[in-house]
Amino acid sequence: MSHSPCRLAALGQVSALGRARADIFARLVAGDSSRLTLNRELIPERSVWLGEVHDPLPEIPAALARFACRNNRLALAALESIGPDVAAAVRRFGPARVGVVVGTSTSGVGDAEAAIAHREKTGVLAHEFHYDQLEFGGLARFVAEVIGARGPAYTLSTACSSGARALASARSLVAMGVCDAVVSGAADSLCGLTTNGFAALGAISATVTNPCSVNRDGLTLGEASAMFLVTGDPGGIQLLGVGDSSEAHHMSAPDPEGRGAETAMRGALADADLAPEQIAYLNLHGTGTPQNDSMEAAAVARVLGTEIPCSSTKPLVGHTLGAAGAIEAAFCWLVLAERSGGELALPPHVWDGARDPALAPIHLAAKGERARSGAQTFVMTNSFGFGGNNCALILGASDSL
Amino acid sequence: MKASLLRWSAWAPGIESPAAWEAWAKAPAPLPATGSPEAKFLPAMLRRRCTPLTRTMLTAAFGCAEPDELARLRTVFASRHGSINESIGLLENVVRREKLSPATFSHTVHNAQAGLFSIAAGNRAASSSLSAQEDSWTAAWLEALCFLERDPREPVLVVIGDVPLAETFAPLVEEVAVPYAFAAQVAAAGRGRGVELELAAPESLAPARAAPPWPPALEFLRWWLSPEESLEQVNRSNVARWRKG
Repeated sequence: MSHSPCRLAALGQVSALGRARADIFARLVAGDSSRLTLNRELIPERSVWLGEVHDPLPEIPAALARFACRNNRLALAALESIGPDVAAAVRRFGPARVGVVVGTSTSGVGDAEAAIAHREKTGVLAHEFHYDQLEFGGLARFVAEVIGARGPAYTLSTACSSGARALASARSLVAMGVCDAVVSGAADSLCGLTTNGFAALGAISATVTNPCSVNRDGLTLGEASAMFLVTGDPGGIQLLGVGDSSEAHHMSAPDPEGRGAETAMRGALADADLAPEQIAYLNLHGTGTPQNDSMEAAAVARVLGTEIPCSSTKPLVGHTLGAAGAIEAAFCWLVLAERSGGELALPPHVWDGARDPALAPIHLAAKGERARSGAQTFVMTNSFGFGGNNCALILGASDSL
Repeated sequence: MKASLLRWSAWAPGIESPAAWEAWAKAPAPLPATGSPEAKFLPAMLRRRCTPLTRTMLTAAFGCAEPDELARLRTVFASRHGSINESIGLLENVVRREKLSPATFSHTVHNAQAGLFSIAAGNRAASSSLSAQEDSWTAAWLEALCFLERDPREPVLVVIGDVPLAETFAPLVEEVAVPYAFAAQVAAAGRGRGVELELAAPESLAPARAAPPWPPALEFLRWWLSPEESLEQVNRSNVARWRKG
């Protein structure tokens, strides 16, 4: 199946790795976990490692005060980096031809917590709280208002696959001619609800997450935003393949055999019309929970084999939930954009090195490892969410274009 | 953008059969503000985990497809508020520094209805869940078109629904707050009765009529069952112009 062009023409991002492209890339390929911090406040009587964003975030403009929450400030930080490109696209195509499809699992729920805490003390919600901050659709509306887009604007929320799904739909809106450009990506912010929710599920690691290790004991949460300008232009870095599936299994645990993950990866390969051995690097979902890593390794081994280098970047930025699919696509984009001398510098798999003998022996990228980059180079990223929602994306770059 | 609408199903308190919806469409009236379906088609174990919204949306979904289709079709679930009513209790737990219920937490994701549908129907196909404030119905239709763009061979089951917001947030939102769900099988153009959607900039249109006192998805259903050729729905940043044929 061949698809019309879908160029990921510009990218802005913010995570624990920072906001500036050069910093992010250097820390990504160095496997720099030092940006994670220990938090003693979010969960009662417990300290947890978190991938918190430490960079100063832009203030929400006064005219958009009703959207003023941390989640939207993360989105705004990512948008600022691509402001000129987006403005040029809005001028080139007209506001009605520019759409917004973004993902989130939290929206501004952290600010809703503050509003409810205020109500506990005073009997009324904090007056700066607006429902636009909490409802999922508010993120898409905020992005549309910031960039001046008048095309369709909606938020996808399929838990941890939200950001990947958003890019898939952005590609389709452009391919159908509904939009000429779409700003697409995701934002997710740390809050009491997700940290305490995952703690209640027993899913949070006592240390920094240690994916694929025999000692792994859960995930490390994080926050991030990545925003892409998606156009129908050829060249540059393209979104070439999308594969997705549901699990019909369990709300908060994957099918142990990884059938849903396998369907998603095979679907992405078929959509991009690629053979498994053409994939140069796979960014794992790699949450560090016992269940995810065992089912994912099994599915990867069945679909891609055990030689393609893989890594989870969650030990660097945490599991950013609704933003994970977008920020990890952003890391793949950076890896492709920074290819040089026929080589790709890969994000290493950062862990204790104690391989779990029960896991399929997939190739976990070592520090300093490079992959060969040919005339065409393809990378894949996996996202698997609560509710059994899976999405795999393939990005590609071609030297001839 | 042309597509086909193959089949629909809807639920609101007291309007639970196709004939009842046909009658409502001939003489539309505001809908009851409370009520939820029993969803007896769900196994008891699963039904116990379903919120009123989940029962409402799954009632519309299961009424809109044959059993083999329920297990096979790709799905789009849309809801403005989703599980926010259930999240309020969790947020109160957080601010009071109480332990959260893990089951409640994992069932308040926005795609909870999609996940429970997948489990109940044994459906392993692609699924999306979305929210777009007042524009959620138009967005749901567009998201279904996105699935059809990727693969036009099979229809997509679109399900939209909401229940009134709980008292904590209800005063912050101006809307017609009624429990309802609407489901539609949307297929590629030429597979059934045609529906064309066009998005227009609001400046290019005459002032729109006042929005009707029921949700946009049900206004779409009323129109679909009426002899009217076209329908305009005012969204936040554009106007959805629907046409039959």
